[in-house]
Amino acid sequence: MNNTILSITIALIFGIGTFLILRRDIIKIIIGLSLISHAVNMLIVSTGVFDGEKAPIITDGHHGSGSGIIFTDKLSEGILAPIVPSGVETPFVDPLVQALVLTAIVISLATTAFILILAYRIHEEYGTTDIRKLRRLRG
Amino acid sequence: MNIQEHLPILLVATPILMSALMIMLRSRPTFQKTLNIIVSASILLMSIILLLQVWNSGIQVYEVGEWGKYGIMLVADLLGSGMVVLSSGISLLALIYSLDYIEGKSLNTTYHSLFNLLVAGLNGTFLTGDIFNMFVFFEILLLSSCGLVVASENGGVTKISDKMEATFKYLILNIIGSMVMLIAIASLYATMGTLNMADLSVKIATLSDAGTMPWHIYFIALLFIIVFGNKAAIFPLHYWLPDVHPTAPSPISAMLSGVMIKVGAYGILRVYFLVFKDALFLLQPIIILLALITIAIGAIAAVGQKDVKRLLAYSSVSQIGYVFLGIGMGTAYALAASLVYLVNHAIAKSMLFLTSGGIIHHAGTRDMHQMGGMVKSAPLMSSMFLIGAMSIAGLPPLGGFIAKFVLFDAAMLGEYYLPVLIGFAFAVFTIFYMFRAWLLMFWGEARDSEKYGPYSSHGLSPMITVPIIILAAAVLILGVYSEPLIALSSEIANQLLDPQPYINAVLGGSVR
Repeated sequence: MNNTILSITIALIFGIGTFLILRRDIIKIIIGLSLISHAVNMLIVSTGVFDGEKAPIITDGHHGSGSGIIFTDKLSEGILAPIVPSGVETPFVDPLVQALVLTAIVISLATTAFILILAYRIHEEYGTTDIRKLRRLRG
Repeated sequence: MNIQEHLPILLVATPILMSALMIMLRSRPTFQKTLNIIVSASILLMSIILLLQVWNSGIQVYEVGEWGKYGIMLVADLLGSGMVVLSSGISLLALIYSLDYIEGKSLNTTYHSLFNLLVAGLNGTFLTGDIFNMFVFFEILLLSSCGLVVASENGGVTKISDKMEATFKYLILNIIGSMVMLIAIASLYATMGTLNMADLSVKIATLSDAGTMPWHIYFIALLFIIVFGNKAAIFPLHYWLPDVHPTAPSPISAMLSGVMIKVGAYGILRVYFLVFKDALFLLQPIIILLALITIAIGAIAAVGQKDVKRLLAYSSVSQIGYVFLGIGMGTAYALAASLVYLVNHAIAKSMLFLTSGGIIHHAGTRDMHQMGGMVKSAPLMSSMFLIGAMSIAGLPPLGGFIAKFVLFDAAMLGEYYLPVLIGFAFAVFTIFYMFRAWLLMFWGEARDSEKYGPYSSHGLSPMITVPIIILAAAVLILGVYSEPLIALSSEIANQLLDPQPYINAVLGGSVR
């Protein structure tokens, strides 16, 4: 049930973002872009949540029977997330997607900052933020 | 400590370190320039050593942090290190060129730093073995190139508002492309549980052999066409390129058209031939179709242009179509041919863009109808543009002829008769628009000096002419002595079609 609600939320945000990108105002386009990037970030996070809900901190007790192996990915036993303690029934969320989404958030912060400054300069230069009126590049 | 083991990470880390250092050195412009040239030259040297090392002793794998395939990996195979040599060679020459070409204020503050970030992004994209890192390096490339496009040049022929509008278009389209790439990566990770490309390849091959390939793998593969097609500007996604590449300063246009759009071709080669081998039967017709439309659209649009750099940009669109045609055919010979084409186009097109910078400097405008008779007042630029135009048009004895010959030969051997016919027809278009540009600019009568003002009598400095001459020499050498390049390309094509050594090199070392 939760997964369905999450999927619907992601789809809605993505749809609203797409709608905003197709508007004529530069600022609306930028808001649409950041909505889409949020939807994509939620998608990435949602791929890492299996059945587990604990934070992915592995203590000594979970290392399995003395083998010390942390990494198992045997394809014959089903596709596992890369970092799963051997002999443990994955009560953890996948830590890697959280690292990935952090990177993606930082990158989208940088691009949004850049594009907002660009929009400001375009407004200074052209005196408008309407896409239809900035058509100096032709041919 | 053996320095040669650490070459892959040095190629990425040195430019990033330097980009931070360059900002701090902005009060000492001369030192900054010298340092940046030394750094670029040493990156070129390192990349050549890396290529020789890969050629002699096989694929080099560098595990950052020694986490094996679960961490970040840099993998230097022949394709990656070859592309690094190409990009660092062109970037060294473009850097030397830009020292005199870019306006002093813009050069001292941010230019060097962003240029180094661009180099780091290129090297990282070519060397990474991890698909999420490829996304990160794409973003580095995107932001640094956006900053460079708005740098102002000495002549001041391009208005800043044009640059900003072009950058806005470029940025929006590429952010959407990056979002598509993230969606594809997230779906891939959710299915396969890994991001390492060699590991992905093994897992997808296992699933395919067992006949339990999830159906959405094919859709992920299709999403990657959007991502890399957007980077390479193939047909439905090409329309940002003719705005961005001409409005950038000439050395940056040379980098963008010479190397940046090849990143898309590299991505297709790497991701499809390594990860999605089993989906290739579905993708190849699509790539061939898009490539043919790209060739046609670029060539037709280039014929009517009056702006010299816009013509060259449309020509880039058309030429990248030929590279994708070779990739789409997918035999060993066709892949080698498309790599030969890629190298030749990279060198010839960056030389043409650098030359167009000299022409603009001389004429003070980008409009070809306002030029004319420049063969007398700018003989060097005229002969250099002629060499580049002949190479792009595919006339012997220059590099472009060999490239087109090998590509069409491969297509004939693979019995792709209709693509050959279309490609050949638009190769004739190429000859037409290239020589029309040359005639308009250099032949005929000198322009009306009352209406447009006289040509600049200011000569071009050696900083501007020497890189152009070096690249022209490279074009000539690739034309008359092309065996080493063809041998290297065939070897790369064999490696691409048989990724087992790559997989062994990446996964063999990781015992965890």
